[in-house]
Amino acid sequence: MNKNTLGIFGLLVAIFAITALLNDKFISAYNMQNLIKWSSLYAVMSIGVAFVIITGGIDLSIGSVVGLVAVVLAYQLKVKGIDPGQAIITTMCMSLLIGLIHGLLITKAKIQPFVVTLCGLLIYRSLGRWLTDNQSLGPVPLEDDKGYANIDTINSLDQIFSGKIAITDSFNLPTPALFLLALGIAAALFLNRTIWGRYLFALGNNEDGARYSGINTDNMKIIAYVICSFMAGIAGILFAFELDSVQPAQTGEFYELYAIAAAVLGGCSLRGGVGSILGVVIAAAVIRLIYNSINMLGISTHLEFGILGIVILLGVMADEFLKRYSAQRAAAKQKES
Amino acid sequence: MAEARTPLLEVRGLCKQFPGVRALHEVALELHQGEVLALIGENGAGKSTLMKILAGVQPADSGEYLIESEPVRFQNVRDAMAAGVALIHQELNLAANLDLAANIFLGREPNQFGFFQNKNIHNEAAKFLKRVGLDLPTDTLVGNLPIGKQQLVEIAKALSCDARVLIMDEPTSSLSQTETETLFEVVHDLRRQGISIIYISHRLGEVKELADRVTVFRDGENAGDLAKDEISHDAMVRLMVGRDLSEFYDRQIHSPGKVVLDVEQIRTPEHPNTEVSLKIHAGEIVGIAGLVGAGRTELLQTLFGVTPALGGTIRMNGELIRPQSPRDAIAAGMALAPEDRKLHGLVLPMTVRENASLASLKRDQNKGLLNFPAEEAVAEEAVEQLQIKTPHLEQVTRFLSGGNQQKIVLGKWLALTPQLLMLDEPTRGIDVGAKREIYRLMEKLAGEGMAILFVSSEMEEVLGMADRALVMHEGRIAGELARNELSEQAIMQLATGTPLAA
Amino acid sequence: MKTRFLIVIMCALSLAGWVGCSKKTDSEGDNDSSEARIAYVTNGVDPFWDLCAAGVRIAEKEFGIGCEVHMPTKGVVDQKRIMEGLLAKGIEGIAVSPVDAENQTPFLNEVAENSKLITQDADAPKSKRLVYIGTNNYKAGRALGKLVKEALPEGGEVIIFVGRLEQLNARQRRQGVIDELLDKPEQELSSVKFDAVDAKNLTAEGSKYTILDTRTDNFDKAKAKSNAEDAITKYENVKCMVGLFAYNPPACIDAIKEANKAGEIKVCGFDEQDALLQAIKDGNAHGTISQQPWEYGYESVKMLKNILDGKQPETSFHEVPFLVVTKDNIDEFWAKKKEMAELGKQD
Repeated sequence: MNKNTLGIFGLLVAIFAITALLNDKFISAYNMQNLIKWSSLYAVMSIGVAFVIITGGIDLSIGSVVGLVAVVLAYQLKVKGIDPGQAIITTMCMSLLIGLIHGLLITKAKIQPFVVTLCGLLIYRSLGRWLTDNQSLGPVPLEDDKGYANIDTINSLDQIFSGKIAITDSFNLPTPALFLLALGIAAALFLNRTIWGRYLFALGNNEDGARYSGINTDNMKIIAYVICSFMAGIAGILFAFELDSVQPAQTGEFYELYAIAAAVLGGCSLRGGVGSILGVVIAAAVIRLIYNSINMLGISTHLEFGILGIVILLGVMADEFLKRYSAQRAAAKQKES
Repeated sequence: MAEARTPLLEVRGLCKQFPGVRALHEVALELHQGEVLALIGENGAGKSTLMKILAGVQPADSGEYLIESEPVRFQNVRDAMAAGVALIHQELNLAANLDLAANIFLGREPNQFGFFQNKNIHNEAAKFLKRVGLDLPTDTLVGNLPIGKQQLVEIAKALSCDARVLIMDEPTSSLSQTETETLFEVVHDLRRQGISIIYISHRLGEVKELADRVTVFRDGENAGDLAKDEISHDAMVRLMVGRDLSEFYDRQIHSPGKVVLDVEQIRTPEHPNTEVSLKIHAGEIVGIAGLVGAGRTELLQTLFGVTPALGGTIRMNGELIRPQSPRDAIAAGMALAPEDRKLHGLVLPMTVRENASLASLKRDQNKGLLNFPAEEAVAEEAVEQLQIKTPHLEQVTRFLSGGNQQKIVLGKWLALTPQLLMLDEPTRGIDVGAKREIYRLMEKLAGEGMAILFVSSEMEEVLGMADRALVMHEGRIAGELARNELSEQAIMQLATGTPLAA
Repeated sequence: MKTRFLIVIMCALSLAGWVGCSKKTDSEGDNDSSEARIAYVTNGVDPFWDLCAAGVRIAEKEFGIGCEVHMPTKGVVDQKRIMEGLLAKGIEGIAVSPVDAENQTPFLNEVAENSKLITQDADAPKSKRLVYIGTNNYKAGRALGKLVKEALPEGGEVIIFVGRLEQLNARQRRQGVIDELLDKPEQELSSVKFDAVDAKNLTAEGSKYTILDTRTDNFDKAKAKSNAEDAITKYENVKCMVGLFAYNPPACIDAIKEANKAGEIKVCGFDEQDALLQAIKDGNAHGTISQQPWEYGYESVKMLKNILDGKQPETSFHEVPFLVVTKDNIDEFWAKKKEMAELGKQD
């Protein structure tokens, strides 16, 4: 764990401890279960955007991709009665395709990531609304609902994506946590143990330098955007099953900001080249923890965004301050040698 | 003549300590009015630190700093400017999108109630531009000027602040020969106007030409002074490195082997209407000379696939290749140590290990996974073979000296054992010791049969290192000089577009 | 490079094509707008509004007048944009549910000067709207309070969830619930006094009920659910959850089910989402107050038609009766809702 991740972990522990001290119900199994579940859902998205941010790019379309994937999934299940397994695969392919289009537009057509993904944000949102005529849909059937085929399969999917695994008598592990665990480990391995991960860091720090070293920077960037949209797609499926209801206009709205906030708080620099998956996951947990603590401590919900903003700002400031300090130390040390 | 008067600027017993580092120890320096004092020394000798103290960028820990015998203590650059001491930065600090007049008065715009008083600044600016020999409309945008002229603007800006002492930090490092000559004339002019100049340079030829006196630094201490008549290349090098360097360019001519690179009529995007053809043999060191903008860097970049060729053919070992990206060129056995190490050569925020292994990761991969032992081995070998001075492999390359950075770039390529090594300005901004090591390496690699193609703006380097020199002018190869034909005069003649007499 | 790019474009187009083909074909959004003389503007997107749209369609046929239905997604800004567009088109009458009644008053007055403006669902009493068609939300809130009392005859702790409290109808409902539970005297709709929005542990002497808190979620359903979960954690004695916006009760039901507290914590709600109706049927929720949304649409069109025909409304408040739905009448109600939903969806 590097210094930054350690710092954000400290923040997590601090907020955790304070809330636990002030409200003894906070550490109940039930609450921990919820906290883990929501943290996992948001962390999956944040991991995706971390890849893009490491390349020095940005993805503003995450929330809309979450929404569109959820909508298309529910639409296929509810309206079309498509085989659930096939529906899941279609939606995943769709999210991969979205990432591919982003990547190609950014690298080949040389349009700025901000613009490409901002347009994506608008397009996918309206696509979802148009597809469903803006009707709310639920992927999971009610008992009385005849619109569903394959009810049994859907129910078992629901168990996979938003189920619970009994660990002790009182504590059940929400399945999204397993998704996070698997995806997080895969992402961390990719970033730190494969040559492509190294390439991503190199090109994020100095794209020309990476290219001059023989790295196909365009392909690496495309991969980053594909990973980002794919993670958003997975999150979309998880959210759809978690909420049992998809509102085309609202599901996932502004989630890109949570994801970017988590990535930045978790140590990614928007200038690119820096980032750690563990840090981002912990930061996503910090953000969910703040929400939970606000409810637990009975702070007015209207203050949520304010508190969140201040914590992120302080976190990033502290990080910047530390970085500058250690850079000075290193520079001074270098003079010595 | 000057010695009789009190010095304009004087420092005595100056010390500067960084945490754990002694940057300057009991340093002394004198500067008289109308004098050009050259300050030389290897990188890390303390030149930059002293310069920063003189210009008020940072304070000294102890010691005296006198201007006209009055002790001064600058808190910031503004104080130094007020006392007439101005620093001309290596990286120019001009706003490209503003015109000449606006740049000269940037931050000091004459204003009334916050509104520009535009009329006067153009007349005023013209006055100062004239003093540095620039006869340009004052509404020219700085961004449209070549780098040499921008530098003169920078000097004009300093003069407009009533500077009496100009500190010039490697002013010629990005200038062509002609631009350098213009700058020298300006320096001579300024000296006649009574301005004193502290001139910092790695180019000993320039120092010899310009300086009235030389002060040499070594390891943060005074290593010696040379009076005008004592200034010689050998004397300076001896003081800088503290020992004799009998043979700086240590060349043995190898008999060239088979043709490695065969280029026919390629056209670069920069000069789409001129064709370039050349051949490089194994074991040969070929230099490309010419003025800045002659298309030398562009040629290397086209060969390396950075800016793909518009036409013509490139053969490596007889095989036709069409490099569309550096990846293609590397696969064909090429390597390029680019001119701008910080921008193109290295990923500065990454470590020595990560940089040294960046190009060979793919070769050493284990089904996509990083091969950490192989990576470590590549980096260790580079450090050992090239004598890279770094505390450890995990050192971030940003904190290394220019010479060591260049060695890492070379190490990165040598791990791939390329057949053709291209070097663009291989020793720019590198101290004498490291320079010599890089020359030795080039010699050794050529001896092992590698073909080496290098671009250099330093006359001495081309004369000293090349088996053969290609001189470029406006995108084409104006002429080729064999080793026995190489002379400064011949190169300059071809570089400026005059054909050699038969 | 170019061919690869082309392939991707083709893929994108075919995706769009697939989406288009598989989409039901009879959906053409609004009625032919050229003949629409009046418009029905909602405050957001929700199945609730589709039910309203069903009433609009019935009334269109019955009274022979075209009506556009608009559902702004982005709150005040979007709603304003839509209404400005309608005015620009020269629409003759608008029935709107203002997102933020108080602060939109100047704009609503501007609309009222250029068109016949009535409000529905939520009122803007200070504006120059001709009439307000709606539920007496305070009364409905009290009725909801009575449902809570039925659900918890022994009394207990109650918590309220709502999207946001900027809306007058949300505040009136909430106050109705509070007043009923604390046995406060009935207030006049036009002059309801509100308890502070962040008031906690409201109770009164002699009342068996405590209103712990009111949590808002700004229409984020994930937030609505986590709010309910957090309440379960924080208040171990909470006995009843009251959801004031349509999606709140289902969120509460989900959270309770997952916490294995079904039956332990009662749910009383507003509106008629299927998940809530199912829960009422199963006994997992006690009951709900339905505003019979189709009546909103129907009455709005009828009222605008009358106004355009020169018949001015007699009062400034046209009350649409609400319906209390419990296990007793759930089947009948659900059948009616389905019928309306079908009709509204054809939109």
